[in-house]
Amino acid sequence: MGRVVGIDLGTTFSLIAFLDPQTGAPKCIPGPYGSALCPSVVSVDPDGKIIVGEPARERLLTQPERTIYSVKRLMGRGLADIQDELKIFPFRIDPDGRNVIRVRLGDKSFTPPEISAFILRELKSWAEKYFNEPVDRAVITVPAYFNDAQRQATKDAGRIAGLEVLRLVNEPTAAALAYGLHKQKRGHVAVYDFGGGTFDISILKLISTSEGDIYQVLSTNGDTHLGGDDIDNALLDLARRELSEKFGVQLDQHGEAVQELRKSLIRAKHELSGAEKTTVKYSLGAKGTYTREITRAEFDELIRPIVARTMAPVKMALADAKLAPNQMEEVVLVGGSTRIPLVRKTVGEYFGRAPHCELNPDEVVALGAAVQADILETGVKTMLLLDVTPLSLGIETMGGVVAKIIPRNSTIPASAQELFTTGVENQTGIDVHVLQGERELAKDCRSLAKFQLKVPPGPAGLARIEVKFLIDANGILQVAARDLRTSAEHTIEVQPSYGLSDTEVERMLEESIEFAEQDFAERQAIEARTEADTILAATEKTLANPRAAELSLEERRAIDDSVAQLRAAVAGADYKLMRDRIDQLNQATMHLAEILMNGALQTALEGKRLEEV
Amino acid sequence: MSVTQTRREQAGQAAGTKCWSCQAAVAGTHFCPACGKIQPLPAGADYFAFFGLPRKLSLDPAQLEAEFHKLSWKLHPDNFVRAGEFERNLSLERSSELNDAYRTLREPIARVEYLLLHLGLRKEGTTRQQAPPELLEEVFELNESLDELREARAEGGDTAALREPLDAAQKNFQEKLTEVDAELAAIALEWDAALDAGADEGKKQALLARMNEVLNRRSYVRNLVASVAKELAEV
Repeated sequence: MGRVVGIDLGTTFSLIAFLDPQTGAPKCIPGPYGSALCPSVVSVDPDGKIIVGEPARERLLTQPERTIYSVKRLMGRGLADIQDELKIFPFRIDPDGRNVIRVRLGDKSFTPPEISAFILRELKSWAEKYFNEPVDRAVITVPAYFNDAQRQATKDAGRIAGLEVLRLVNEPTAAALAYGLHKQKRGHVAVYDFGGGTFDISILKLISTSEGDIYQVLSTNGDTHLGGDDIDNALLDLARRELSEKFGVQLDQHGEAVQELRKSLIRAKHELSGAEKTTVKYSLGAKGTYTREITRAEFDELIRPIVARTMAPVKMALADAKLAPNQMEEVVLVGGSTRIPLVRKTVGEYFGRAPHCELNPDEVVALGAAVQADILETGVKTMLLLDVTPLSLGIETMGGVVAKIIPRNSTIPASAQELFTTGVENQTGIDVHVLQGERELAKDCRSLAKFQLKVPPGPAGLARIEVKFLIDANGILQVAARDLRTSAEHTIEVQPSYGLSDTEVERMLEESIEFAEQDFAERQAIEARTEADTILAATEKTLANPRAAELSLEERRAIDDSVAQLRAAVAGADYKLMRDRIDQLNQATMHLAEILMNGALQTALEGKRLEEV
Repeated sequence: MSVTQTRREQAGQAAGTKCWSCQAAVAGTHFCPACGKIQPLPAGADYFAFFGLPRKLSLDPAQLEAEFHKLSWKLHPDNFVRAGEFERNLSLERSSELNDAYRTLREPIARVEYLLLHLGLRKEGTTRQQAPPELLEEVFELNESLDELREARAEGGDTAALREPLDAAQKNFQEKLTEVDAELAAIALEWDAALDAGADEGKKQALLARMNEVLNRRSYVRNLVASVAKELAEV
């Protein structure tokens, strides 16, 4: 088995971390550009090559029609859900998609889990390179307020990327774990997680028991479509309006030009976290340059409504936990958007205490995921997370009304059993509609799935089918049915409202496995080739040394043979063979190295008198 | 969402008597006393038994919480990630039962409701729709006030003046709810005393029936409070 890691699959950036056994502390793994932050951007080359991260982000400017960012916003969602998104995000949706969205990138189209899998695969390769070992299992984080379909989509992405997903952990909970708050604190903690595309608030209780420390989530709330992206869009709206008014320029939201502008505005946003003012410059070619100074005060006014939107979920979470803002022992800030001074100020004032932000808000979620991954992997439990389901689970009853069967903020795993029977004579099927949400009517809740329980014809009320709904520790629903009259397993045919069927995931997995093995082997081959080149050059150089004549004929032949064999291996693609032949050559040159060593020593000694030695 | 096999089926039919792994005798405990393996839930077990408690309605919340944490530590799926599928499912079954039981037993009203449900004296989701006789008059007045308010709103008239009777009604029913809760708590104490004294089945059944009647009244009053609150919020 390979290594296990923790992954923060973020809207803007994704990170991969592991628990360093040397220090006992979690650590993020840097990528080829030195940073641990992998931009969650995917681009597809005309020849089908997938590009992820920093180079893909560059392509947002040069090949926007082949490149996608913020795909997390599309995870587990249907076409009807994303209409608002489509107005502001340059997603190109394939019209052929049924209940699953497909995004066009160049001449290909992919589902959001497939695109997320590309990101996961990239991170996986960072870790594999770092460990020089395969990575096959992971804890992946999700926004606490993600529903069943969004969680399932994330799990599918993991599978497609060739990772066994040991657990989905809620981002704010992971952050609390990374802070290791249990070490000093008991009592209640609020985690305010304002990221690139999602907002979460979780209220936790830290408990120490004789067995160990428990992080019990009391309540969680949030908005899966509220984040730094919205701030960027507010800035973009402002700039586009001014461009239109002052220069008569209409920027196409899908074009390359708008991406360039967006990039400058994001830079301005980052600068305003430290500076009181900044200037955005944007060249309009022949029409001149749009130069715009933005002050912190103006920025604050612009984003105030967005920051205010985070406070309603905060209040609801506290109400559900039956706690007041001043009862928090600690307040923790997570997510890049919490670098914004107005956010810090708003949160600090509401809770009446300065929030914690010592840990890097970008890294803290991945670090927590690594801690949880280690606990699950080693079985050495140092602490226990008890998380909750963010949304009530219900079933549709007469008149389209939803009957709640598992209330929101129930500790997971949680379950409920419902008995179903027939209402009319000779009815052969009972329709069950499962929903998630807080509203009273089915049409206002999120449809998870519809299924039919098939029953033999008979008098009304004779059939008795018990359905067990179980939300597992990942927050994903499982359904099982049993015929109470016969005690037999009852088969259910489910039509998931959104998402991929098992067969689809299997197929994507198969397709990607080929990719993956190829990728891994290719990388290994490149590294082995580099090493082979180094050793071949060194051997050649040493053989040119006059002292090489001291080698026996057999030794010399062994070296020559090994060199030839390594050269042949390097010409191929088998990295294992290259490694074997490198070892073989190393063995063969051992005596030669000794001869040269001794020679070097003698040369060094020759000029010196004996007593000096 | 995914469809799974019924866990109970997978766990086999032997639940409750012999350990599935070492065949030692088990008496409904979470783990086998001999080999320590997690056990399937015995059929018909109730939430009280899960916590090793008698079916009494007075519970010390702090003690219940401590026990909840202790059992969570042992039963949570985190402990079984590396176990086989069978044991993983048992952990899922037991830990979800633990969470369901704790969620129910920690709320005094839900606790009574659960006891009645479990004893088959109450069906889930069935609440009597008729007003209790002693409330008839007040409910009638309330409905009139609500109608007037809706009419005024529909016609765009002045609704502020109509708030007052509703606010009063709201307060009145809120008080009724407190009374009903106190009544229920008193019968719950009688129930506990009856259990302690080893009372006969007849007496126990009478107490259960009374609790059921009070619960019906309670849910009626609670619905009233909720619907008035909703109307007031829209004014």
